[in-house]
Amino acid sequence: MHLFLQATIAGILIGGVYALLASGQAMIFGVARTVNFAQAIFAILSAYLSYTLFGDLGIDPFLSVLILIPVMFALGYVIYAVLLRPLNKSSAELGLLVLYALAIGIQGVLDFTYQTNIRVIAPAYANYSWTVAGYQIPEVRFFAFLLAVVVLGALHLIRQYTKLGRALRATSQNPVAARLLGVDVDRISAVGMGLGVASAAAAGAAFGMVIPFNGNSQYDLLSKLLSIGVLGGMASMPGTIVAAVILGVVESVVAATISPDWSAFSFLVVLFAVLTVRPQGLFGRQLRGEL
Amino acid sequence: MTALHAESRLRRAGAARAAAFMAVLAVLPFLFNQHWQVNLLVFTVMYAGLASAWNLLGGYAGYPALGHGAFFGLGAYAMAIGAGHLGAGAGYRPFLLVPLIALGTAIVVAPIARVLLRTRAVAFAVLSITVMFMVQTLAYNIRGLTGGSQGLALPIAPFDAATFERPYYFAMAVLLVVTVGVCWVVRTSKLGLALNAVRDDEDRARGLGVQTETVKLLAFVLSAGLTAAFGAVWAYYISYIVPGFAFDPLLSLVAVLMAFLGGRTTLWGPITGAVLVGPAQQYFAYRFGASQLYLIAYAALFLLVIYLLPDGVIPSASRYLDRARTAYRSRATRRDRPDQVPMEPVPPRGGRG
Amino acid sequence: MRTMRSTVRRSVWAVPVCLAALAAGACSASPASSQGAGRSSSPLVVGVSMSLSGDLADLAGPAEKGYQLWADTVNAQGGLLGRKVSLKFVDDASNPTQAVTNYENLITADHVDLVFGPFSSLLTIPAASVASRYGYAFIEPSGGAPQVFALHLKNLFLAQPAPILSSADAFADYILSLPVDQRPKTAAYPTADDPFTSAIIARIQQRLQAAGIKTVYSQTYAAETVDLSPVVTRLVSDKPDLIVSGTGGADAVAEVKGMVQAHWTPKFLFFTGGPNDPTFPSQVGAGNVNGIFSSTDWIPQAKTAGNAAFIQAYIAKYGGTAAGIDAAAAEAYACGQLLQLVAQRTGKIDNATIISALHSGTWPTVEGNLTWDAYGSPQGADDVVQWVGGQLLPVYPQSAALASPIALPSWAG
Repeated sequence: MHLFLQATIAGILIGGVYALLASGQAMIFGVARTVNFAQAIFAILSAYLSYTLFGDLGIDPFLSVLILIPVMFALGYVIYAVLLRPLNKSSAELGLLVLYALAIGIQGVLDFTYQTNIRVIAPAYANYSWTVAGYQIPEVRFFAFLLAVVVLGALHLIRQYTKLGRALRATSQNPVAARLLGVDVDRISAVGMGLGVASAAAAGAAFGMVIPFNGNSQYDLLSKLLSIGVLGGMASMPGTIVAAVILGVVESVVAATISPDWSAFSFLVVLFAVLTVRPQGLFGRQLRGEL
Repeated sequence: MTALHAESRLRRAGAARAAAFMAVLAVLPFLFNQHWQVNLLVFTVMYAGLASAWNLLGGYAGYPALGHGAFFGLGAYAMAIGAGHLGAGAGYRPFLLVPLIALGTAIVVAPIARVLLRTRAVAFAVLSITVMFMVQTLAYNIRGLTGGSQGLALPIAPFDAATFERPYYFAMAVLLVVTVGVCWVVRTSKLGLALNAVRDDEDRARGLGVQTETVKLLAFVLSAGLTAAFGAVWAYYISYIVPGFAFDPLLSLVAVLMAFLGGRTTLWGPITGAVLVGPAQQYFAYRFGASQLYLIAYAALFLLVIYLLPDGVIPSASRYLDRARTAYRSRATRRDRPDQVPMEPVPPRGGRG
Repeated sequence: MRTMRSTVRRSVWAVPVCLAALAAGACSASPASSQGAGRSSSPLVVGVSMSLSGDLADLAGPAEKGYQLWADTVNAQGGLLGRKVSLKFVDDASNPTQAVTNYENLITADHVDLVFGPFSSLLTIPAASVASRYGYAFIEPSGGAPQVFALHLKNLFLAQPAPILSSADAFADYILSLPVDQRPKTAAYPTADDPFTSAIIARIQQRLQAAGIKTVYSQTYAAETVDLSPVVTRLVSDKPDLIVSGTGGADAVAEVKGMVQAHWTPKFLFFTGGPNDPTFPSQVGAGNVNGIFSSTDWIPQAKTAGNAAFIQAYIAKYGGTAAGIDAAAAEAYACGQLLQLVAQRTGKIDNATIISALHSGTWPTVEGNLTWDAYGSPQGADDVVQWVGGQLLPVYPQSAALASPIALPSWAG
């Protein structure tokens, strides 16, 4: 039982970071109508940048997030404007392939720059944990969870209470109507993508401290993100967050109690079971051809 | 010219082309007979087949499957396990397993395909990749069967060292001919028409009475079975497989890239794409060692194709030739028969045909 | 059907285009042919598939240095039988399939004179068969798993004093040599799924279980796993006396850091790989290394043939200290030494001579005085090493020990 609860705690903590990463993906899906296959590599890119900032300049990874968020926001904005907007008239699949190709290209650049050695960002406090009621709470994972909560909260506030947020939601629900109502859909979509990639930036820095990584880690992360998106519903923010925490907990518990190898797989089984009954995921809208 | 006359002309032309293609395939390993050249041919022919097999589902049916690595790996492991039972010195017998593996994979995949085909477009792509990761995980975990991370060794064939690669080349070539044959039969049959209809507008097609579920499933299992066949021969050739590389996400993407590059709607497009990209990839992988550079090269090539040649080399080039031919004809006609200037034909949408 | 016919006709030209592209590709990719063995003043080219990238890159990196150092050393002395040694490295990205392709190309396309083996048992197993098919001698630095010798290849020689199972036996012997009240009562066996690690763990587990030490946790995880926290969570929860962990390097570091973070220490801790890496103390914290057991095939203090000269030359070329030299460099260097010895003893350096010569006699290298059985398995024995006072020293058996074994200090608090 102790093991089960310990694993659950660990799962919730990491689930928060997954939730942040997946929410970015959900936001991008809302505005660009395509799954961001590059979301995982953006997180890893951010992890590498944070690693470099920490290693060369001694900047604490949590502080480096302040630098990385605007930088990656700009990256997301530019990617939408240059690569995705011209494709708007064509199918969503082309956008997906473009992002997949981009992900592979970025991995190539990262592998070339950093080599493929496994890295981990190791600030001094990475070795400490608190013991609360007999359970371990590693400091780094706790702060990573806090970071995720803070950024997700900020995103939520933006979406619900600002003009930009209203425009984002409108574009996500019905771009044509939004345009008719005077929303500059192209610019708003680019901003949405920027926000999505910025989430990846924050999540990436957190990951880099918790899980050792290299360029190839993107496939594992992408697989988790895709599962979360499908389960939670691609465009639904609350659905994504719930699915992410479920994933984190299921994985962590199965890994500790049964075997690390079956952890990701067990989640995929859950996913397939849900999909046979509800192809749109738990919270997804019933859209033609989409989740 | 009667329709019958035209059709038999077509058949004769088609048969001649098929014969020429097979003759070329048969002769290549004798023209380029150094070990490394035959090795290159083995891989290029394999990629041509993989791209063509993918195209049945991704091009003709329009379902963007990104997880074909799953079927390739299934075929590879099936061959490793099967050849292992046959034992060392099995020689040509493992090749006889290939059709069984293709059929077996098609059957096993059918129920999964049914679930996947309930989704479309982006969701379908996502799920197809997810399936690939699932199967890869199984390969890592069911160690007793697959050897896990330590991989599986296949018996080394007792072929003559001087021409060691040749049997594998011919196995791949036969599979390529079969695949192209299947593609051609599908294209020229009602199944092809139905798939086209599904690709263009699935709901309308269903409304018009097309058996969309059946044709989609058929395209899927054909595509999967053929892909598995190539995986099986590959495993025997490589003689040692591990899950990370038998189920390679990059392999799925390369087949897609080749089909896109060559032209998803044509018969020869995927082969053209494979011939253009395949040797270059093998060359880079060996000469420049660092796998990172060819990741960047793939990405760049893919992006170039999507933005500059969205229909692929063959349809775009065909369109270009079409326009050139028409311009020439219209100039000639203007010169000789000014009253019979032909109209500019409307370029076929998407090079479909 | 007019549209289809015209497309069919139009795409005819695709076939000659395909052929032309293929021919162009084949011609442009033709490699530089190299001189065959036998011309006395041409360089002696040795091809090696190296894991310059991928999961094994960190571990294999020092091997490249070792090879290069040997080549420079032997060339400074006039080369091998008057021919300068030229090394040809090709990256296999830690991928067994690529390693096979590399050796195929090195042998049949580049026509190298000789080859050395790749890094790790995982890559050695498939690559050795390729070399055997073409009659090349396969001196290899690091493939010591039982499956390597199960290939029954006559051309293969491991440049280490013992196969890896010997280190498993050495550690099992040590544990069983302890008085019963000091022995561990329970043990955990987490291991990566790799021919090297799983063979060692399986052997130790088999012997210790037979002696009555209870297994509380046994887990094989995929070799590519980077997140070891579920394993650590389980270990901290089960609290075994002894942990025998099949690790490559990064996973060992992750396990130690995880246990430190959880403020828990077992009584005995053994890793198959990781602690024998000179960078281990900096990765886990210098205060956390003492007491950790491992196995290794080479230490700087060894009094083996040419070791002092090797260390001196290494420091001169690459800087650092003797303690910072990774065993992989010594393994690679030993491969080269074997070629030198064959040349000295037989006056020839072709593959057939190497294969027949190495099967008899004793061959002194930095890795020790090596002899092999018919299938390339070395006939020596390994020692148990432990980090004692900041140094990795042999502690068992007593005949080879340079220090006494110490207890693992507690990481609690």
